[in-house]
Amino acid sequence: MDDARRRLGAAQEELLSALVAGGEPPEGFDPERLRIQSASLVSKRREVVARLRPDAATAAGGALAAEFAAYARSRERPPPGYRSDADDFAAWLRVRGLMPDPGPHRRWRDLSPGSRWRELLPRFRGWRDRLLRRRDTS
Amino acid sequence: MAVAVAELGVGIGWRAEIDLTVERLPGVEFVEVIAENLRPDHLPESLRMLRGRGLPVIPHGVGLGVGGAHPPDPARLAHLAACAGALAAPLVSEHLAFVRAGGMEAGHLLPVPRTREALKVVADNVRRAQDALPVPLALENVAALFGWPDDELTDAEFLGELVERTGVLLLIDVANLYTNQVNLGLRAVAALDRLPLEHLAYVHVAGGHEHDGVWHDTHTAGVPDAVLDLLGELCARVRPPGVLLEWDDAYPSDRALAEELGRVRAIVDKSRTGVDGRK
Repeated sequence: MDDARRRLGAAQEELLSALVAGGEPPEGFDPERLRIQSASLVSKRREVVARLRPDAATAAGGALAAEFAAYARSRERPPPGYRSDADDFAAWLRVRGLMPDPGPHRRWRDLSPGSRWRELLPRFRGWRDRLLRRRDTS
Repeated sequence: MAVAVAELGVGIGWRAEIDLTVERLPGVEFVEVIAENLRPDHLPESLRMLRGRGLPVIPHGVGLGVGGAHPPDPARLAHLAACAGALAAPLVSEHLAFVRAGGMEAGHLLPVPRTREALKVVADNVRRAQDALPVPLALENVAALFGWPDDELTDAEFLGELVERTGVLLLIDVANLYTNQVNLGLRAVAALDRLPLEHLAYVHVAGGHEHDGVWHDTHTAGVPDAVLDLLGELCARVRPPGVLLEWDDAYPSDRALAEELGRVRAIVDKSRTGVDGRK
């Protein structure tokens, strides 16, 4: 069993390295299909990252796909979780001057009217949902 | 071998973004929740309410990687077990896939090499998972964009062997069968013929997008007729205990989701009625 596990692990590592870390496609695989799979993994990451850090997605705007692809290529391997991936992407955008630095103490009066709404909207939705739910169950 | 499987009905994947919609959709008889997004000691109010109504809620894991080279992580198994306990779930589902190797995370489900040697490893992983869970485990077939050059078995044969060796239940995703048919030329109906459907726990259906001749199973569109046809083919072979619609992003209107569930239910009901009109 140990040998079987070792061989399986080596094969999976070689393949995953080609898919997420810029490694060479292992022998016998269709390189075009691996390229499609690799792009699909990046777009999956991008969707999750955009949900976790809508501020980063907004900052990248129409260039989100291109920026995220460039960010993904720039690192040796993806971080261990989506949360750190999202934060790393935001930091990467910031270094490239594409995202404003929020600073450690962002104050209400410093926010633009637009971003005040963006801050409030999720809270408003939460209140609305709770009210609607209460009415439903009463 | 007769297998006792909980009766589930027609359901939808519960997502925080559509929690109110799911609560209100007519005809939702069970839901599935992504286990990794759940804190068993702080269940979302929406899920507690659905449980209060008596709806089964199934924890659906995406990060265990039972098809990986290492035994499944005890902490991940403990989390799945805690989710099952908190939700009083009839079963837990996961995927026949690997998601990490050599310290790298794939971020999604990748197909395992379907060799006899890999089968031994995966069967051992499944047994370990079963031992750690308080309820039965169901394994889902995944959608693939590529095949391993050393594959010796089809997906259906591999799953069949796993069922035989471990008694694991099946979660058959007909959209994934369709994906593999389009992308890899693996005939979906042949897979249905080969799978031990008496071990079926429930079925997934979902929509996706075609891009340059490749089908991407995105869960962001209506279920194509070809996938519903496969659901019909499955229902002609076995009465599925449950059928669940997956929708993960780009959510449509409540009405559109209700219509999608209606299309699914129509297929299931049609096969239950049978040719002579008897229920």
